[in-house]
Amino acid sequence: MGVTKEQVESSLTSKLNPAHLEVIDTSGGCGASFTIEVVSEKFEGKRLLERHRVVNAALEEEMKQIHALSIKKALTPEQWKQQQESEKPEPAA
Amino acid sequence: MSRPLSKLLFKGISGFPAACSSKIVSGSFYQNGMRYSTSVPNDSDTHDDFKPANKFDGSGLSLKELVEQDVKDNPVMLYMKGVPEVPQCGFSSLAVRVLKQYAVPLSARNILEDPELKTAVKAFSHWPTFPQIFIKGEFIGGSDIILNMHQSGELKEKLKDIAVNQEKSA
Repeated sequence: MGVTKEQVESSLTSKLNPAHLEVIDTSGGCGASFTIEVVSEKFEGKRLLERHRVVNAALEEEMKQIHALSIKKALTPEQWKQQQESEKPEPAA
Repeated sequence: MSRPLSKLLFKGISGFPAACSSKIVSGSFYQNGMRYSTSVPNDSDTHDDFKPANKFDGSGLSLKELVEQDVKDNPVMLYMKGVPEVPQCGFSSLAVRVLKQYAVPLSARNILEDPELKTAVKAFSHWPTFPQIFIKGEFIGGSDIILNMHQSGELKEKLKDIAVNQEKSA
């Protein structure tokens, strides 16, 4: 019963070859709810809905037991880089 | 604008694990002035041959057709856990709150009331979770996507022609 964070990570890693991946178990231990951030080249040229479909498909098996999957970020490596740069604190003058 | 919204997101999600179990379905939905009801009495004495072909009395629609008609007839159609007034899940609640920022008519069905409808909607959109949002017949996605579109301004653009009738001039 339930799915572990490691299972989610390993499925996403093998199917999406992510440049960045963060999986958080938000279920409080029962393994039915996860929040993820994923950066992958596979998202290139896809809009958000399609990116989420890619993630859902990668987790097809796990989704049978996951009640809630929140995909906070589904970015291309390029977007990820830009976002990280824009989030960098301004150097003090 | 994005700052209060991130709070909205946080509030929406924070109530989640306890509130979201699809196993907990109480009979109290009826008191909330539902616009739609998806349940019908199930007469187990009726022979299969004489059962209505679908659960939506008199409409002659299969569940798939019902969903097709829903998304066609309702500019903003939401399939959710609970009802807009009383969502039964943090994600459904978030979707409702995002959509309520816009002056658009909101139609919703409660999939907790009808497992068959739930299955039919999932098959229709090829999407595994709820809420599911359709705008002008187009499948938009779930709560993460609607929030993202809200923050990016894309949602405003999409709802522009629906909201325009009700928009008050400044």
